[in-house]
Amino acid sequence: MSTASPTRPGGLPSPPGRPANKAAEARRPRADRRAWGAFALLAGPMLIGLGVFKYVAIGWSFLLSLSEARGTIALGHWVGLANYQTLLSAAAFRDSLLQILLFTLFIVPVTFAGSLGLALLVHRIRRGRAVLRTAFLIPAAVSYVAASLLWKMCLFNGLPSGIANMIGSWFGMSAVPWIQSTHPPLYWIVLVTMRLWLQVGFYMVLFLAGLQGIPRDVYEAAALDGATGLRLLRRITLPMLRNTSVAVLMLQFIAAFQAFDEFYNLFSSGLSGTGTAPVQTPLVYLYNTAMGDQDYGLGSAGAFVLTALIVGVTLIQGRITGFGRNEG
Amino acid sequence: MSAQRTHLSRRGFLGGSLMVVAGAVVGCSTSPGGGSSSGAKTTLNVWYHAYGEAGTQQAAMRYATSFTKANPDIAVKVTWVPGDYSSKLNSSLLTAAAPDVFEIGDFNEGMARRGQLAALDDIYGSAASDFNKADLDEVTVDGKPYGVKMIDDVIMLYYRKSVLSKAGINPPQTYDDLVAAAKALTTKSGKGLFIGNDGLGDTPVLAVLSNGGDLVKSGRAAFATPQAIEAVAGLKRLHDDQSIQLGFTTDWWDPSAFTQNVVPMQYCGLWALPAIKTALGDDFGVLPWPAFKAGGTPVVRVGGWTSVVNAKGKNVDAAKKYVQWLWIQQSDLPKDWAQGYGLHIPPRNSVAASADKLTSGPAKDIVDLATKYGRTNPGTWDTAVSTAFNNAAAKIVTGGDAAALLTDAAKQAQADIDKQLAG
Repeated sequence: MSTASPTRPGGLPSPPGRPANKAAEARRPRADRRAWGAFALLAGPMLIGLGVFKYVAIGWSFLLSLSEARGTIALGHWVGLANYQTLLSAAAFRDSLLQILLFTLFIVPVTFAGSLGLALLVHRIRRGRAVLRTAFLIPAAVSYVAASLLWKMCLFNGLPSGIANMIGSWFGMSAVPWIQSTHPPLYWIVLVTMRLWLQVGFYMVLFLAGLQGIPRDVYEAAALDGATGLRLLRRITLPMLRNTSVAVLMLQFIAAFQAFDEFYNLFSSGLSGTGTAPVQTPLVYLYNTAMGDQDYGLGSAGAFVLTALIVGVTLIQGRITGFGRNEG
Repeated sequence: MSAQRTHLSRRGFLGGSLMVVAGAVVGCSTSPGGGSSSGAKTTLNVWYHAYGEAGTQQAAMRYATSFTKANPDIAVKVTWVPGDYSSKLNSSLLTAAAPDVFEIGDFNEGMARRGQLAALDDIYGSAASDFNKADLDEVTVDGKPYGVKMIDDVIMLYYRKSVLSKAGINPPQTYDDLVAAAKALTTKSGKGLFIGNDGLGDTPVLAVLSNGGDLVKSGRAAFATPQAIEAVAGLKRLHDDQSIQLGFTTDWWDPSAFTQNVVPMQYCGLWALPAIKTALGDDFGVLPWPAFKAGGTPVVRVGGWTSVVNAKGKNVDAAKKYVQWLWIQQSDLPKDWAQGYGLHIPPRNSVAASADKLTSGPAKDIVDLATKYGRTNPGTWDTAVSTAFNNAAAKIVTGGDAAALLTDAAKQAQADIDKQLAG
């Protein structure tokens, strides 16, 4: 933002006066040690936990991806890159990568626009804002599994009495099996509406927080200069929301690549698995490989391919949008 | 929802969810073995998937208690696992909290070859001859049994007698008949046949077998032969006619679609017979999945559940003792398990002979069908193999090239079968 207050090149505030400064320097070592002790005490358990349960596990998983591990997670039977080779030569896995890319390219802009639009609308309202905000946020608290069952059994089941089919019948449509129709692929309607319902409210709240952080006087100054309506939005609101937008975008990318719950729960019967599902995300594929088939080596290899993909996309996105760069 | 769907009591569901959250160590398990457990030296951890019928969980716990009464030094902790049983089992088997005794549906010989299951040749003894030969063969790998079949589940077609006779349709005897009947019975308000929410269920397997084909034969994936390709491609006709129910609220293993008059024909199991009888009285009959064409053969699928011992567990001997006591030495408890709740066929001939609920009416028809046409999935038919096959079938019924897709799937399946057989 603006650079109104003078700062020194190093960014340090100018020293208030010599004597006070000296006293502070004398006190610093002890204070530092105490601060460090407190830091270690508070952050230590978390860091140890993170190390053991995340980084050791990630490292182990990487070693597993280089070994043949069926029905065991013991290391030792090294096979080099054979797992990666098997995985990338499997058409089903390549298809799943392609499908998740297309899904991401579609769902991220739609969720972004939806949540931003909703935030702008809710932000403008003078009365009942809290009620509306809560109403839109509540779906974010619903689990994907519960929502999947709701969507699958009540809204979009294949019976004439299903809610979507009932509404369709008012317009003379005959009953359609929404989740099983592949020509045209109606299941995308089910998947996309569900994800929007669950996610838009959450990102809306992030945008609202961003909107509330924009100082009023900026708008007033712009209004004095004669800016109104769309121009205010384009020239003031959106630029001031840039940091929020970039963070939201990144979260949405990651969430989209990790899509699992609704794809698994909508298409699985709990018995015959998801082998016949018209669309499989990489995570569903890997879940079946590791949990269904006990091939933990192949499953780990897939996890790393997917991680590489997510890291790659996030880096590219960071490059384009300038995430992590200083504001201003 | 419907009366048939009250499988999960609220407490059972909550307990199950807690177990998922807290891991297998705590959760929905009973306190070990009844009142006499205080002196027990070992505690066996026994896992069941959540059976749908009311009373099954209590029965499993009752069996455990009586075992501890007979063997005071071994307590038994029963864990009832709702939801995706095999995933939870597979991940638990990697941990120290793994069950000592557990059950698996459709025996998987890969698990035996990888050393996850203990060989049980020493607990059968002379009782081996009492077991149905097919059931013993199913669990035998390289000459040794690795499990004890608890129940046989027979899966076939149910049809409404009144609906078919009103439409002037005879119970279908060939696949052509079935397609025609499903089409004729489809009206504006309902479809003619329910085989699964995905429009496939078990039918790709049934199609191959009903045309004289095989899924896996002597270690080779055999579902890409011309007759198998022809039969799977034939399933497309049901989809083209739009005569099958898709996207019902429960899947084919639940009889609700049939008992609630949503469809007049459904693929379902013997276990649902009591519920169907309660809902429909005598107005239903049973049929095998019909022969694909002249020269083929009707098929009914025989699944079921097998009790196995975790070879890597800490209490292998006690676990073997438990399996032997419950499923080989007792006869009234296996009988209770087979016919007290849902209906199943006991794999032991002596027990089956005393199972009075299977001796009359449609139950007897189903037992006869199983004897005549029963087929079990091969031991190499694991998730990877079946997924490759079903995935291809799903593409074929929506217009894919059957020959190319099945050939490709067979290649993938073969790679996995080779790995399984290598151990």
